[in-house]
Amino acid sequence: MARFFPLEVTDVRRETRDAVVVTLAPRDEDRQAFDFTQGQYLTFRRSFDGEELRRSYSICTGKDEGLLRVGIKRVDGGAFSTWANEDLKAGDALEAMAPMGAFHVPLQPEMSRNYLAFAGGSGITPVLSLIKTTLAREPRSRFTLIYGNRSINSIMFREELEDIKNTNLGRFNVVHVLESEAQEIDLFSGRIDAEKCARLFKGWVNIAAVDMAFICGPEPMMLAIAASLREHGLRDEQIKFELFASAPRRAKHVVKTTTDGARAETCKATITLDGSTRVIEMAKKGETILEAALAASLDAPFACKAGVCSTCRAMVLEGEVEMETNHALEDYEVRQGYVLTCQCHPLSDHVVVTYDQ
Amino acid sequence: MTSDPSDKNKELERIRVSEKGGNAPETMPLEDYLAQGGKLTTPENAPPRYRGELLRLMATFVDSELAGAAGFADIINQGPGIKERISASRIVLEKLDHAERVLAVMGEFGADVSRYANHHPWTARVARDCDLGATRHGSDMRLAVLHYPLQDWLDAVVMNVLMGRAVTIQLDEFSRLSYQPLGDIFRAILPRERRHMELGEEGLRKLLQDETNRPAVTASIAYWRPRVAASFGAMASQHFDTQKKFGLRHTGNAELARQWADQVDGLLGDIGLR
Repeated sequence: MARFFPLEVTDVRRETRDAVVVTLAPRDEDRQAFDFTQGQYLTFRRSFDGEELRRSYSICTGKDEGLLRVGIKRVDGGAFSTWANEDLKAGDALEAMAPMGAFHVPLQPEMSRNYLAFAGGSGITPVLSLIKTTLAREPRSRFTLIYGNRSINSIMFREELEDIKNTNLGRFNVVHVLESEAQEIDLFSGRIDAEKCARLFKGWVNIAAVDMAFICGPEPMMLAIAASLREHGLRDEQIKFELFASAPRRAKHVVKTTTDGARAETCKATITLDGSTRVIEMAKKGETILEAALAASLDAPFACKAGVCSTCRAMVLEGEVEMETNHALEDYEVRQGYVLTCQCHPLSDHVVVTYDQ
Repeated sequence: MTSDPSDKNKELERIRVSEKGGNAPETMPLEDYLAQGGKLTTPENAPPRYRGELLRLMATFVDSELAGAAGFADIINQGPGIKERISASRIVLEKLDHAERVLAVMGEFGADVSRYANHHPWTARVARDCDLGATRHGSDMRLAVLHYPLQDWLDAVVMNVLMGRAVTIQLDEFSRLSYQPLGDIFRAILPRERRHMELGEEGLRKLLQDETNRPAVTASIAYWRPRVAASFGAMASQHFDTQKKFGLRHTGNAELARQWADQVDGLLGDIGLR
């Protein structure tokens, strides 16, 4: 079960017009829990208008800086990122889970490796952590960053990257690719796509020497770069991804609970899976929603059938249900309308359940 | 590894600011992203149906490793020598470790990890002459083949040889799946599972040095072969189509089963059992 720790905000620095860098301090007793690995992220939770939101932001500091810091770029309509950009200040408290994520490779001080990273916009945050940690802990390795942004003003950590370049001469290079700005060398204008990669690999990056590549950005950019890297001979295990999901993936849903007297012995359950809907007459006692779905030949996901693994999670859109046990869903998920269907019996005469939301 | 870009960077400083503006965020529907081979990296990335299928796949692996280790643990003491008992112990230890690693990923999706490890009697087995086909049995997700009891050391070695080949083929398939943190784990454990298979094959060759073991080995292969074959699942499977859509699978059950049968035929030919 997710565990959240309190973090004190010790500094909020404006990085660009729509991005802030937030420095955080765990309590002394939680320091161990926040001993992150480069490239990991923190998941925060906060209540907005009574609804708990969770958002993940990557740590942008290196292992040796002794600081816990995340970059938060404002997303249009994003409640958490807007709040962080407008209202968050030093002295505030935040809640976060211990660092998670596997966007890194183990470093070996004696190795001399060539790393190549691609970052799109705020996708720089975990990459910056990788760059700083790698340069510090693998003194013979080199790092090249291809960094895409809309315009020069929107480049996060631009100065810091320059500083890193100057203090690690010959070991770190950055190539800026700017989408909305015409440049004298057109290679550096536009988006980082397959064609751009092919051209970069011709003159700027010795792709044959690359040991490991990292990509963090939006979906089309990740696909195009990964395809290009494979085309140029990199194997799957040499490419690490971090898909940044700045926009919430799940549709926001308001649970409508209709009370219909709940007089009948049976319930009409409307169950949706993969876009197809079945209406099932089921007993209110002795049968779970999952069992009813499986009996109706719906290939509903499940595993433990003991309320432990959460594989069978679905959302109740209408009606009332009760769960026998729940060891997997958190309160905020339950408030959103999620249930474990393996533990779930209808109370009302009609329920609408979907596995698709 | 790059040519020195400092000159170009100077040019960057001189760029003409000409906002084209109005660019839509460059995202795409997740279904398209996955269909084109995209990878997901955090629970937050995973849409609900993807999440369900991924958890189901992980549970199948975890339950199979836990049940496999539990069954094999009972056989350790029957190993004919210390070396054999060390091999069997190592297989048990590492299968539990593999289960723990994948269970940790399930935990990131909300599973109660400590409860999960004990929510089933992993040593439970059906009667030897039961026929479960490819269907799940009882209330855990282990592959049906792991419900059958091992009879003795020889039987355990044969089962491990046949199943070891199947596991390495499955893991090779899984190491390409679209949830990268899990794919990385499968890729990391594949060499160790391959080693388990090799330990089994070494054990089998040793058993066959004694000619009198031959009929028992043949009988054991006849028992396990169809049961392991069934673990590849239905040859035409709607479930596979769902998994494929999400990038969780790439190669069909029939093709994987064929690869396995070819490898087993090759091995049996090598050791003079065909």
